Amino acid sequence: MNEETKKQINQKYERKLEHGERFWPDSIFKDVIVALGIFLVLILLATFVGVHDAPKADPSDTSYVPRPEWYFLFLFKFLALYGQIPVVGKIEWLATVLIPGIFMGLLTLLPFIDGSPRRYYAKRTMPIGIMSIMVLGIVLLTFLADVPTVLADGSSLLGTLQTIAGIVIPVIAYALFIFYAYKTKENAVRLTIITALISGVLMIVFTGAALALHQPPAVETAEVPHTLADQIVAGQELYSLYCVECHGDDGATTVIEGVQGLEGLEIMAINGKDVLYTLNDASLVEVINYGRPDAGMNPFGKAYNPEGLTRSQMDYIVTFMRYIWDDRFEAPEIKPLFPELAEGEVPSYEVHIQPIVKRYCISCHRPGKDSNEYYMDTYANILNSGENAGKNVIAGDMNSYLLQTIQGTPILDASGAEIIGVMPPNGSLKPDVVDALVRWIMAGMPETEAEADALSAPTPAP
Amino acid sequence: MWQKTYAWLDERLGLGDLYKNLLDRPEPHGNWWNTLGSASLFLFIIQVVTGIFLTVYYTPSPDHAYDSIQYIMNEVAFGWLIRGIHHWAASLMVLVVFVHMLRVFYTASYKYPRELTWLVGIGLLLLTIGMGFTGYLLPWHQMAYWATTVGTQIAGSVPFAGEFILQALRGGPDLSALTLQRFFSAHIWMLPALLALLVGVHLYLIIKHGESHFPDKED
Ligand code: HEC
Ligand code: HEC
Ligand code: HEM
Repeated sequence: MNEETKKQINQKYERKLEHGERFWPDSIFKDVIVALGIFLVLILLATFVGVHDAPKADPSDTSYVPRPEWYFLFLFKFLALYGQIPVVGKIEWLATVLIPGIFMGLLTLLPFIDGSPRRYYAKRTMPIGIMSIMVLGIVLLTFLADVPTVLADGSSLLGTLQTIAGIVIPVIAYALFIFYAYKTKENAVRLTIITALISGVLMIVFTGAALALHQPPAVETAEVPHTLADQIVAGQELYSLYCVECHGDDGATTVIEGVQGLEGLEIMAINGKDVLYTLNDASLVEVINYGRPDAGMNPFGKAYNPEGLTRSQMDYIVTFMRYIWDDRFEAPEIKPLFPELAEGEVPSYEVHIQPIVKRYCISCHRPGKDSNEYYMDTYANILNSGENAGKNVIAGDMNSYLLQTIQGTPILDASGAEIIGVMPPNGSLKPDVVDALVRWIMAGMPETEAEADALSAPTPAP
Repeated sequence: MWQKTYAWLDERLGLGDLYKNLLDRPEPHGNWWNTLGSASLFLFIIQVVTGIFLTVYYTPSPDHAYDSIQYIMNEVAFGWLIRGIHHWAASLMVLVVFVHMLRVFYTASYKYPRELTWLVGIGLLLLTIGMGFTGYLLPWHQMAYWATTVGTQIAGSVPFAGEFILQALRGGPDLSALTLQRFFSAHIWMLPALLALLVGVHLYLIIKHGESHFPDKED
């Protein structure tokens, strides 16, 4: 740029200043309004949307699908699409380093590449076209972030649509821009604008098609328990599922019963001072993570056990053990397992029986456990599974195996040998729990609360 | 009384000159797009202030990072608000800085005499993204852990130097306590210090050259 142009630019600027405004108060006024607006939006977002939660980091859980901050999503998508391209797609660093590097380099050196003094929009259609397509591409790739490139059935239709929208069209448009700039001097501006508009529309159409064809799977978002009480409850549920079979619902079991391979093994109760005072939280997590393989407790860490527990889950179990069993900790108010039953009220599966079974029985009575294939994971299975299906739960019959075994009567065969021991094998249930189960079976096992209400004796008028 | 104090201070601090040079400047007619730069600055200041509050409780170790965040969210008075603002302002800052860059691009304000303002701006953009990347790991939750694993892997795919970059970012072959410590240090000391420095240069250049005018047909 020669001195003459520089002088012209500076003179033009002086003229603009003369007919302009003052920084204070004109510009500052707008700045302050925008700042206040932003501040308000931030407070609203923090209050009503909050921060999305995730469980604690777990280096052993390699199955976790990583999701970066939203402003990196387009890069992830770009890498995924790029990987689809035959041959060059295999050279990773082209996409991770070279292409972003070239773009960043061009952007950085922009004032030196585009050194002409022209500033008016119509005189800069090529750079504006390139940037607009780029920005549109970034936005569209961000929207496409959750659309897979290859479907489970191997079809790559979605991937192709996305590659066309996010890579092929922009590349063609760029090639055309450059061609116009060098070959079609007089029509360049018009052609560039038309090409940019058409490419933009096509990119949106292909993205829309990919989005429309994609059926998002129902996402199950894991609730992260926040309050101490929620964490204790979460811990207790996990404990009920994973630990009750050996340690009993209250951790007091000293002789393992009803567990294949460990029958009769003597262990120490884990709910007392011996364990809770000597092991701190970190060591307790370690016991759960690594197990006591030599003593018979299998490891629960995800690294050793694909169906195992995550770090957060182990933390919750330990929180539960501390606050419920350790007399040095005072537990916050926790909802009872099931609402207390009134005189003549019939319990329902939904409200009463499911939580009871989850707490006391499911640890042994679920697929993969050796308990006469009696699975108590669903309503139907409780009624109709097991080697003695049909005898376990009989409406209105006190001789149902379930009712006998939970009341301390083992089931004997004709010769007097025990075929089913008392349930749960490693302890006895509290009277209110037994009472709920008895009332439920005697009344005919209602599933929903409404069914149970219909069977309940009418509450005497006050 | 007030006038006397002012006169005394003015004599020593040169308040009048400051006013003339910083505030009472002429500018070309602007519009709302010109507020994006100051909005970026405002967001940066918000991040500094809320970030400082967060360090009071945050502990950068794999054992305690997650719990310390839970503590901030659930126990500390208004901790949720401070963290919420820091979280959302981080996202917004990336967005606003990017749009500010776009406006400067479309109005061709990067041309003579503002080339250096643009160059410094690119530094600011990269630093802002770097702040986002390093800050994301700090809560040490699953998403953060695995996103950073992948992110550092990508940085490690650079030919020849990749292995070195990967090790330098992670402080070892895998993500560990060292990685967290590094990201923390970068997030609260190195990057913000650089950012503040560059913001200073950026602002100096803007005052020096004045806000550019919106181009008209003759430009
Ligand atoms: C397959 C049976 C089994 C299961 C399931 C099981 N444990 Fe154990 N656990 C054991 C045995 C056996 C020991 C060793 C007891 C001993 O040495 O006295 C033990 C010991 C322990 C100890 C004491 C360790 C020590 O060294 O003092 C704790 C605490 C413990 N288990 C917690 C748990 C928790 C929490 C769960 C559920 C995630 C669980 N266990 C599940 C069998 C089991
Ligand atoms: C520690 C593991 C364990 C727990 C906890 C447990 N069971 Fe069992 N259950 C068994 C085993 C093992 C059998 C197989 C018979 C046997 O070995 O006694 C069984 C069998 C049964 C049967 C007979 C099933 C059939 O079809 O033969 C019933 C009914 C039963 N359990 C009810 C319960 C109920 C109700 C609870 C919860 C209150 C419970 N069990 C808790 C281990 C357990
Ligand atoms: C932390 C990030 C940033 C802050 C705090 C910041 C701040 C500012 C402020 C306050 C202005 C004057 C008001 C305005 O025009 O909006 C400005 C102008 C400018 N900024 Fe930035 N900026 C940032 C990032 C960037 C980036 C990423 C670029 C481009 C790569 C950039 C390039 C420019 C240019 C060239 C000007 C002069 C514009 C003109 O004179 O019209 N800035 N910036």
